[in-house]
Amino acid sequence: MAASLTGLLKPWTPRVLLVRWSRYNPYYLEPGPRKEVYHIPETELTPEQKEERELKSVRPIKAATNSVTSSVFNDPVLSKFVNMMMKDGDKIIAKGIITQTLENMKRKQVEKYHKAPEGKKAEIECNPYAIFHQALENCKPVIGLTSIQKGGKFYQVPIPLTDNRRRFLAMKWMITECRDNKHRRTLMYEKLSQELLAAFSKEGNVVKRKHELHKMAESNRAYAHYRWW
Amino acid sequence: MAMQGGTALQEKVSRMLSRKHKKPVLKPNKPLVLKDEVANRKIKKGEATCVTEMSMMMACWKQNNFVDTLCSNEMQSFYTCVEKAQIAVKNKSEQHTIGQSGRLQPKQATILLKRYPNLHVEI
Repeated sequence: MAASLTGLLKPWTPRVLLVRWSRYNPYYLEPGPRKEVYHIPETELTPEQKEERELKSVRPIKAATNSVTSSVFNDPVLSKFVNMMMKDGDKIIAKGIITQTLENMKRKQVEKYHKAPEGKKAEIECNPYAIFHQALENCKPVIGLTSIQKGGKFYQVPIPLTDNRRRFLAMKWMITECRDNKHRRTLMYEKLSQELLAAFSKEGNVVKRKHELHKMAESNRAYAHYRWW
Repeated sequence: MAMQGGTALQEKVSRMLSRKHKKPVLKPNKPLVLKDEVANRKIKKGEATCVTEMSMMMACWKQNNFVDTLCSNEMQSFYTCVEKAQIAVKNKSEQHTIGQSGRLQPKQATILLKRYPNLHVEI
């Protein structure tokens, strides 16, 4: 009886503990969760890869976040999209919506595939991940606009954007479009699959928004010299 | 030598503050004490990079009614120009922090001054 009671007297610790922080000493290296890198045999490594391997054997490495896995299904772009869609930390709902979206897209494309004549069957893309990536690429703007003050007035000046900013804008536009412009009774996954398929074929509201941004930048090209970087 | 320079400066300041002969030259509203930091300033004002590439791309867009597939060459050259500009900016900032050409960088001067700050409390 005493043995079982002493077990209950231990202080409670949660079963899953956070290990990774956001502030590390700069000499900590990033984790490399992909398995393919380690399958390359010794002889085929480039000198930079060999250097990287040696560095990894001496330097400490940051802990990997919970959302990063070494499985084949781990997609960083898709994970970022799920995180952006998440509300109040409810990742389960967001991930569920994305899974339903992908399934819905696959169903629509397979239906189109079976209905298409023999010649056109090869052109129809059935892989929902490929459709998602291509749709996002089609939504990414090339130039952005920023407000620069000159002589008391603010002008919209065209500036080049970083890759991260472009990806963020594409995802943000997609999510806001699907949240705002839909019928009360259509579910999010249905609207998302419609928008993604439209963006894949370069139609739809998100691509239109990208074109409008390009048009604004083109009309303001005279102010391009107001930039100083 | 520094002390002689210091006393000469103090005599000049006290002369400028005095009301003996004519109106004082200086009427300070705050104590005449230097700060423990140096202001950051960028001497050269940069200019807009990749403007030619941008204008070529926009001309192509205007011609083709903003269809992206027909302008892929110009877009590619724009992206390469932007990448090069970013690398150039990084290299330049590195070069400025490492090679000062006889002068201390404002940030480095501030760090040194903060190590030996002005005493504002009597020890």
